[in-house]
Amino acid sequence: MMVLEIIEYIIRLILSPPIFAPIIYPGLVTVLVILLSIIWVERKIAAKVQLRYGPLYVSKPIGGALQMLADATRFFFQEIIVPRDADSIAFLIAPAASLVLPLLPIVFVPAAPSFVAISVEYSLPLVLAISALTPIVIIVMAWAANNKFTIIGGIREAFMVIAYELSLFISALAMAIFYGTLNLEDIVSMQKSLPGVILNPLAAITFFVAMVMATSRLPFDIVEGEQEIVAGPFTEYTGILYGLVMGAGYVQLYILCLVFVELFLSGWYPYIGLLGEIYPALGGVSLFIKAYLLMVFIVFLRSVYGRYRLDQAISIGWKSLLPLSLASVFLSLGLLAAGVVI
Amino acid sequence: MNLREKIEEKLKDIATSIEYPRPDLIVIAVNRDRIMEAAQRIVELGFDHLASVEGVDLPKENAIEVIYHAESYEEELRNTIVELKTRVARDDPKLQSLINVWPNALYLERETWDMLGVVFEGHPELKRLLLPPWWDDIPPLRKDYKVKVEGIIVGTK
Amino acid sequence: MEQSSLTFRYKELERAWDGEKVYEVFIGPQHPASGHMRFIVRLDGDIIVNVEPDIGYVHRTMEKLAETKEYIKSIPLFERATIIDSNNITLGYVRALEKLLGIEVPPRARYLRTLLSEINRIASHLYGLGLAGIFINHSTMFMWGFGDREIWLQLAEELTGARLTHTYSIPGGVRSDLPQDFKDRALKAIRYMERRLKDYMKIFFNNPVTVARYKDIGILKKEDAKRLGIVGPNLRASGVRYDARLVEDYGAYREIDFEVPVREEGDALSRLLLRIDEIKISMDIIRQVLEKIPDGPILAEKYLRLIPPKLRKTMEETGRVKFPGLFASLRPPPGEATARVEMGHGEVFYHIISDGSPKPYRVRIVTPSFRNLLLLRYLPVGHRFMDFPAIYGSVDYFPPEADR
Repeated sequence: MMVLEIIEYIIRLILSPPIFAPIIYPGLVTVLVILLSIIWVERKIAAKVQLRYGPLYVSKPIGGALQMLADATRFFFQEIIVPRDADSIAFLIAPAASLVLPLLPIVFVPAAPSFVAISVEYSLPLVLAISALTPIVIIVMAWAANNKFTIIGGIREAFMVIAYELSLFISALAMAIFYGTLNLEDIVSMQKSLPGVILNPLAAITFFVAMVMATSRLPFDIVEGEQEIVAGPFTEYTGILYGLVMGAGYVQLYILCLVFVELFLSGWYPYIGLLGEIYPALGGVSLFIKAYLLMVFIVFLRSVYGRYRLDQAISIGWKSLLPLSLASVFLSLGLLAAGVVI
Repeated sequence: MNLREKIEEKLKDIATSIEYPRPDLIVIAVNRDRIMEAAQRIVELGFDHLASVEGVDLPKENAIEVIYHAESYEEELRNTIVELKTRVARDDPKLQSLINVWPNALYLERETWDMLGVVFEGHPELKRLLLPPWWDDIPPLRKDYKVKVEGIIVGTK
Repeated sequence: MEQSSLTFRYKELERAWDGEKVYEVFIGPQHPASGHMRFIVRLDGDIIVNVEPDIGYVHRTMEKLAETKEYIKSIPLFERATIIDSNNITLGYVRALEKLLGIEVPPRARYLRTLLSEINRIASHLYGLGLAGIFINHSTMFMWGFGDREIWLQLAEELTGARLTHTYSIPGGVRSDLPQDFKDRALKAIRYMERRLKDYMKIFFNNPVTVARYKDIGILKKEDAKRLGIVGPNLRASGVRYDARLVEDYGAYREIDFEVPVREEGDALSRLLLRIDEIKISMDIIRQVLEKIPDGPILAEKYLRLIPPKLRKTMEETGRVKFPGLFASLRPPPGEATARVEMGHGEVFYHIISDGSPKPYRVRIVTPSFRNLLLLRYLPVGHRFMDFPAIYGSVDYFPPEADR
């Protein structure tokens, strides 16, 4: 009798949103699945464009889908080398922090109507603010490794942050002004009939480009600039530490994609009531599908573009994105003044 | 005036010999101390860059022959290669550097120093180019340097 | 000769820099984008003030080794300098040797040499374009360039039996005759490549990122190009119409109607686009060669006579040359000869000195990459650090070729 009660209690605990959201969906377990699948998808798409097979030999019948699992396993058992001149404490802590910090905002991102780990009024600025902490960790990483390439990479990261961060915030703010709330859940609920991208496409474009910059995807993978600085701030990392820093970029991509979908692509609508009856989070599965497709599109950019130069990226950030994001704020204000009501 | 006449007129006072071994080749030999002057005159004729700088070791005559091959991209000159050569003593191989006459002699002369030990005076960076920095044997393109043949190793202990 | 270019000085290869402020970065020899060499790049902020290429990591003493071998054995040796362009690099040596020996090459052999030279040139350019893609992290251009190069390697394999180390040109001729239906396959490859070049333009050359990265970067002025003795597409992209195929009588180029493409801009993008132009011209030359190729022997009469009649018969049946015994100890008369041949990367120069013995007294080989090395020092100065790989990629530098 006692045992059953305990099991029931545990199940209830797991299924309660404050636990389920950060641990299972849209939290850790989902992130793990995404990490294992999106890299495979990225490589497969690139292979398709480039007339090759891509990952194949691990699990041939399913097109090498387990390749990433094999790679992760290898990372786990690889030797971790700490350079002699590195600041070893910062060197070892930074990769873990670089994975945790982008993951942290997940507790404020609603996955379905009133399904969120911590419900706050100001979830939008909180999510963006926490994800803006990651560059600091990357700069710490670059400094700790004490290598010329990592330091150049760290400086590049610092330059990039000031180029995109402002536009990212302002274009998100444009939507917040229009909807009159900073709560992501409210923003989504107001997009039930009309997604935000149609009302303010300018903000959507700016946010999208800033997002690509923030996650170091091509054509802005300047921080890792392999052809000049080997792997940028990650040059000295080996084994699982490298696995962590490599994963961190995808985690940040995932979080920002969720925010993008909630700001512009009407979040979890269409809501699937049938699944929602089984468990509330499942009803908002369209949020996940949209975010995943957006991620696939962003990783597909790898097969189309080369890399911009640092100064070109910065001038795109300051000269094009910033004015565009400011214009998007005025567009929102104009829509409000014109009396557009959802 | 064709090219041969021009060259003879320009260089006859300093050249020790001017030969035409092949239709596309003019060979001018000069003394070691006139090399700069000869090179400048060849540049004035239009042969403004080098195809090669080489050294030939002549142990029997106790000399190293340094050969410059100049060519031109101009349509009327491009079919010909001008070969300017001079001899330096084998035990004290010193020659004026021509990098201010032909700028692309920079690496070509450096290689010749590397491979034959000819010292180009006035060359700003005579240091190892193709050979490893710790090379302390005699210059490898001299005839008394023997190529060490590594045997084929079969089996182990 | 203008006075201005005469005063070109060594010191102009770098900018004045303050030792305190300079950040020295060692790129290579173990670096994803250095190749088999090292660059010491000195940066003042993000601006390159000085680049010092440190080469020699793949030096194989080819000139010395050639002195220890019989003439014919040096052909496979030299082709290992530029394994991606092996017929062109050995052709220079064979030409110089033929001049020393005084041999005329039969017309069919000359056409066949031209055929393989152009196949090699296309493959070499595709290799260079692929690398130019990956230097700005454009992986699609990299994979496409390398993938499509395979078509031309297969053609070369059909003709010679080897994908890379063809050892095709031999003194007095070529090693094997045209296989059956080679013409159809070559024309098919040309049609495929023409289609692909359009795709390249779409995804790479007209891509805004590529244009931003390569346009107006690393400009080589016409005067400097001449003075520094730059060769190949890098020279022609600066507006100088010079090609060793125009000056040296080798292959069938005197009988073929072709144009040497030139571009005036001299920047990195024009160097890349010029390679595309050259691929088109090369395909046109291949078409003409297949059209015009005459019948006849593929080895000089002088050597053909030395082959025993029975072997000569199998030779005619199989189309593969059996080497006459004389080849083991070719003895050119004392003298010297030079030869220039246009490779994919530019002009290769050979100078052979013979003393009448079966081994050369001295062989001098100056490869195009060795001459273009100056560009790696001269062009990046004043540019941003991220431009360095772009310039390196646009020059199509091949370290094993420069190191020999």
